Amino acid sequence: MDSKSNREKIISEANRLRWELGENLYDTLMETIYNNASEIANKAVTYSDKKSPFSFDRTLDKILTSKYFGIPIMLMMLAFVFWLTIVGANYPSSILASFLIDFLHPELKNIFLSFNIPNWLVGLLIDGGYLSCAWVVSVMLPPMAIFFPLFTLLEDFGYLPRVAFNLDAIYKKAGAHGKQALTMAMGFGCNAAGIISTRIIDSPRERLIAIITNNFSLCNGRWPTQILIATVFIGSLVPAYLAGFISALAVIFIAVLGIIMSFIVSWALTKTLLKGEISAFSLELPPYRPPRILQTLYTSLIDRTIFVLWRAIVFSFPAGLVIWLISNITIDGISLANHFINFFNPVALIFGLNGVIFLAYIIAIPANELVLPTILMLTVSHLGLNDFGAGSGVLFELESIEDTAKIFQAGGWTLLTGINLMLFSLLHNPCSTTIFTIYKETKSWKWTLVSTFLPIILGLLVTFIVTKIYYLVH
Amino acid sequence: MSLFIYLVLIFIASILFLKRKQIVFLFKKIKNEDDKILQEDILKNIYQLQKQNTICKTETISTRLNEDKVKVQNSINKLQKLNFVNTVDEEIHLTESGKTYALKIIRFHRLYEKFLADKTNLNEKTWHKVADEIEHKLNQEDAEKIAAQIGNPVYDPHGDPIPSSSGELPEKIGISLSEMKHNEISVVLHIEDEPHNIYENIVNKGIYKGIQIRFLGIFNNEVSFYANEKLCSLSLDEANNIQVGIPKLEKIHLGEFKKLSSLSVGEKGKIIGIAKSLRGQQRRRIMDLGIVPGTIIEAELESISGDPVAYRVRGTTIALRKNQAEKIYIEKI
Repeated sequence: MDSKSNREKIISEANRLRWELGENLYDTLMETIYNNASEIANKAVTYSDKKSPFSFDRTLDKILTSKYFGIPIMLMMLAFVFWLTIVGANYPSSILASFLIDFLHPELKNIFLSFNIPNWLVGLLIDGGYLSCAWVVSVMLPPMAIFFPLFTLLEDFGYLPRVAFNLDAIYKKAGAHGKQALTMAMGFGCNAAGIISTRIIDSPRERLIAIITNNFSLCNGRWPTQILIATVFIGSLVPAYLAGFISALAVIFIAVLGIIMSFIVSWALTKTLLKGEISAFSLELPPYRPPRILQTLYTSLIDRTIFVLWRAIVFSFPAGLVIWLISNITIDGISLANHFINFFNPVALIFGLNGVIFLAYIIAIPANELVLPTILMLTVSHLGLNDFGAGSGVLFELESIEDTAKIFQAGGWTLLTGINLMLFSLLHNPCSTTIFTIYKETKSWKWTLVSTFLPIILGLLVTFIVTKIYYLVH
Repeated sequence: MSLFIYLVLIFIASILFLKRKQIVFLFKKIKNEDDKILQEDILKNIYQLQKQNTICKTETISTRLNEDKVKVQNSINKLQKLNFVNTVDEEIHLTESGKTYALKIIRFHRLYEKFLADKTNLNEKTWHKVADEIEHKLNQEDAEKIAAQIGNPVYDPHGDPIPSSSGELPEKIGISLSEMKHNEISVVLHIEDEPHNIYENIVNKGIYKGIQIRFLGIFNNEVSFYANEKLCSLSLDEANNIQVGIPKLEKIHLGEFKKLSSLSVGEKGKIIGIAKSLRGQQRRRIMDLGIVPGTIIEAELESISGDPVAYRVRGTTIALRKNQAEKIYIEKI
């Protein structure tokens, strides 16, 4: 008898048996395996200490998930982590900036020029590529190096799963998983890291939701933009002694708006695009344990900080080249950048923005940290202001807020431009590092495109509506 | 200008939120497809009628499909030319190749229903309708891929056996729910999913394949019974669409079906079973965590809002949502 018909006979006999057995096979198998395993374990393992109901873990759990203390403790912890990040990052950031940008940048330029390398090549490589990398490193590295280890310590201690446990009820209403609270919090540090952290969500639908909505967490790179614009445009509306408080409030409002948007979008996604995706909730609450500080520092620095930073550098170097090129290549005596700005100004005005902002957001896709210096550079070179800046295609920032405000005024910015820039900074495409990470995590062009364009559409919609309302009031 | 922007935004938003199927539908030429769908539906119906030993004529099919009689006759003529059916005195019979074709469509249908039940979150009331569309679009290769993906199932989620790829199909097993005797205990093996309104009524009563039945009796055309020890009643028509029997490896549980969700913090229970309505990946996840019959489980911690609740199982603490804990049955210890 030939083997083929033999094989078919076996298969059809197996089929017949499976029809007869029905569907209890898998369940029964699992049950038997577990029973056997626990029998073996009972013989082989002895438990020295029976857990008392008043153990440390249980008492701590009772406090951290209690009705009265649970939420306040959580908010205090998070506020502390953010405060430490923002305040603590200031000093290393300015040290890095003064070294990489103020000191090393001109030095490098001189060295290159002394080798008789043509001017344009030095401009392209040093003013373009090097400067934008230096910028990203000095703005991005310190806050991440503080935020990620702190966050990892909380995770290692076992506190974060309790946060997810407490907040799950709210997330469930939006069709999401409680652990999304953690990936969102991580997103405040960096969206790319936030998206990698969605691996902790093991249910496919909830994980996709967490990935797509992570961009609504206002990341590190966007905080400086928010703070500066709020100080210049919102803070100036009120008396000086209130200015700091009100502008801080405006920034917090934007961050909270981001959280609200993430809930709305999560909910809308479960009702539409993700309707049929499977969802399987489970959340393990591991026992508390003393955090392993050295190991945590190492893994969070290597796995998260350096990893994200490296991707950002890889992406920001070409961006620097592009920034320099479009400012220095001219057609009919006008730079490419200015051609673009002039062309897009009328469209941008509909959204209460301007062509400079549009262009800045397009060329600064590699890193949100680059948006503000790019806007300043483009504004100055577009208007031809010679008192400010370091030359076309060279990113810069100003020490004094008054001078920055002067540049914005000269660029024709109004309160509306400021408000809409803050909104658009929250609601626009993720940076290219994040987009790349989304693709790597989902392995799907569809979800990558959705995560990229959904926020842009929302951002344009919101700024458009705000503009309409602004002109109605004024 | 602003109106133009409005339109563009609405257009992009609608593309994002429309399902792919709807978009395809907008652009597709339907004519040819329509013919194929009708022919396949006819073959399927003849097969089903023959199984019930009903005489099959053009009218019977056109009423069953709710289609124009002339159109149905045209399709039957085409099927005859293809040698899928032959007609003797207006009675239509499937040929061998017609039967193979019909079984293939039925296989696709039931496979896809099982796929929807295991791999998606779609409501059980929509499975049949979705599968009715998809069965005409699948080809052999896709169907086998789907089958492999869900572990080559032999039953669809309603309890109908899935024909094997070589076209074998076992005889139906079990008796009708209304034929049970007083106090007899059995398990729902199959729920007929057509007609849809009757199926919907059954689902709305919380009956699913795998639920345990303790029969009471028939009073005034109402069939009364306990389903997982919860009193329940169905009309005779509804009960006739349910088949019961005791499958192999089934553990019959006598006594109360207490839900895991009813434990308050500090109370313990022993798991007696997981409702079959917890399917696919959700079921496997829960079992992988060690929540299997025979395990001791203790409610340990309530979250701020009371849902989810954390349970202690086999030395670990696992939080489950209420809608999951409701599908796990325990006995108190």
